[in-house]
Amino acid sequence: MRLHQAVMAFGIGVALVSLPASLSGQGEAPRPAVARPWPPALTPDGQPDVQGSWRPVSGGTHSLDPAKSGAADFQERITGVVKLNPSLIVDPPDGHIPYQPWAAARQKELAAVFENPTRPEHIDTQTRCMVPGVPRLYYFPTFKILQPAGSVVFVWDEYHAFRVVPLDGRPRVAATVKLWVGDGRGRWEGNTLVVETTNLKAKSRLDVVGDFFSDKAHIVERFVFVGADTMNYEATITDPTVFTRPWTMRVAQRRMPDDEFLEWACHEGERDAAHSSSNINDPATENK
Amino acid sequence: MRLRGVGLLHLAVALSIGQAPAGAQTAGTGTQASQSAGVPRTRDGKPDLSGIWQALTTANDNLLAHSASRGVPAGLGVVDGNEIPYRPEALAKKQENFANRATRDTEAKCYLPGVPRITYMPFPFQIIQMPDVTTILYEYVHATRHIYTNGTPHIRGPLEWWMGDSRGRWEGDTLVVDVVHFGAETWFDRTGNYHSDALHVVERYSLVDANHINYEVTIEDPKVFTRPWKMRMVLYRHTEPNFQLLDYDCYAFDWEKYYPYPGL
Repeated sequence: MRLHQAVMAFGIGVALVSLPASLSGQGEAPRPAVARPWPPALTPDGQPDVQGSWRPVSGGTHSLDPAKSGAADFQERITGVVKLNPSLIVDPPDGHIPYQPWAAARQKELAAVFENPTRPEHIDTQTRCMVPGVPRLYYFPTFKILQPAGSVVFVWDEYHAFRVVPLDGRPRVAATVKLWVGDGRGRWEGNTLVVETTNLKAKSRLDVVGDFFSDKAHIVERFVFVGADTMNYEATITDPTVFTRPWTMRVAQRRMPDDEFLEWACHEGERDAAHSSSNINDPATENK
Repeated sequence: MRLRGVGLLHLAVALSIGQAPAGAQTAGTGTQASQSAGVPRTRDGKPDLSGIWQALTTANDNLLAHSASRGVPAGLGVVDGNEIPYRPEALAKKQENFANRATRDTEAKCYLPGVPRITYMPFPFQIIQMPDVTTILYEYVHATRHIYTNGTPHIRGPLEWWMGDSRGRWEGDTLVVDVVHFGAETWFDRTGNYHSDALHVVERYSLVDANHINYEVTIEDPKVFTRPWKMRMVLYRHTEPNFQLLDYDCYAFDWEKYYPYPGL
């Protein structure tokens, strides 16, 4: 079957159902990767060599708070049985996103309508094939890490997203430049990669149920490599316009076999997001 | 046409770009590059293509030589002999494409533009060369390619991928990339030059010095063309300090105003 037509045919189904489902294989034993030394070997430019494929142990971008997969949400609607995952939010300790009241209200409003959208903004950015930004990409399926001299590069299979993080301490791009994955600057602290990201476009939300931050956000990520095949990804989001305090998520990642990526064309086959509800009255949609 | 970050040095290059095809012909398959001084090399001795590059041509507007028109600079063309050998019945479709170019060109929909068009879109791209795979990251719609150079064959088709399946090998100092498994929807340029799903592309990347790649492409598609044909151009390294890829997610422009929430 023609793959891009398959994506056309399933459209939103792929984004909403099989994506979280593809992350639900937590029970499967990881296929053994090539044995790698720990502590890691060094790349020619002296970085800890952590190259290869990585994937969240328990990912999915349906809902961060409460932590719920799309599949669990779907089941809940049918059976009434609520099945939550452990929260990825490790700070604040209560596991909740510390929204300011106005921001919490916006998110709750969206969470109530995402299944029956009546406005264009009710549809998740991922459903529209927009690139999930930082940190959403890291609780999302497999990515590869490449380490050419002087930088760390992340490449995802889905959305063919990528992110190049320079390690040379170069100045940031001007504040007027906003980018889908932001502008990250990295450094190694032992076996931990620390990346500070600004210039965030902040158009991509954090999950399907409308969790968000603004383009005033500053994100500090720590890729804490704790073994040859295990890494904890931590992202601290500071955004005084949306939150009452900085907050941190932690996503355990494990090394995967370094399989080839196949082509993943979302926008090219996307036919349904704009028409996923006949209730949507949107000039941009009507012209299409 | 967007030429962000092109410095004075590159302006001079742009002015003389018409000479590039002739020069490339004498470079032939690029084996001469092995004698070129100043070609950076990887630890395994291969020419190192890593870096940020950009084609400076009007090939995306029109592969063939053309006069200027509004918004389109004149161009000397990038096709050998300035002729694309369409089969008679295929030429009619090319002409129909041209008449309907505003709506039929998938560039207008911001689709992945295929190979080799992605190379000469007027945007920079970054090559990351590793021993087993050369990854190319493109600023335009953040397209990616993974060119496997580990001796693996093409994956089994039939497949219709927007960017095809790329397998590379080194012939002397030239990276030769064989690309198959395309769909039939992408065009080569804005004038409706097109191909079928039988498209077979062979790209040749030859560093001639530290900052220039001779890029030569052979196009084969027996459903559309009477014989294989070639295009050639030079890829220029971005040498500006701290140059980096930005983004051009054009399919999202219409929707950005709704996110993260309207008014935010």
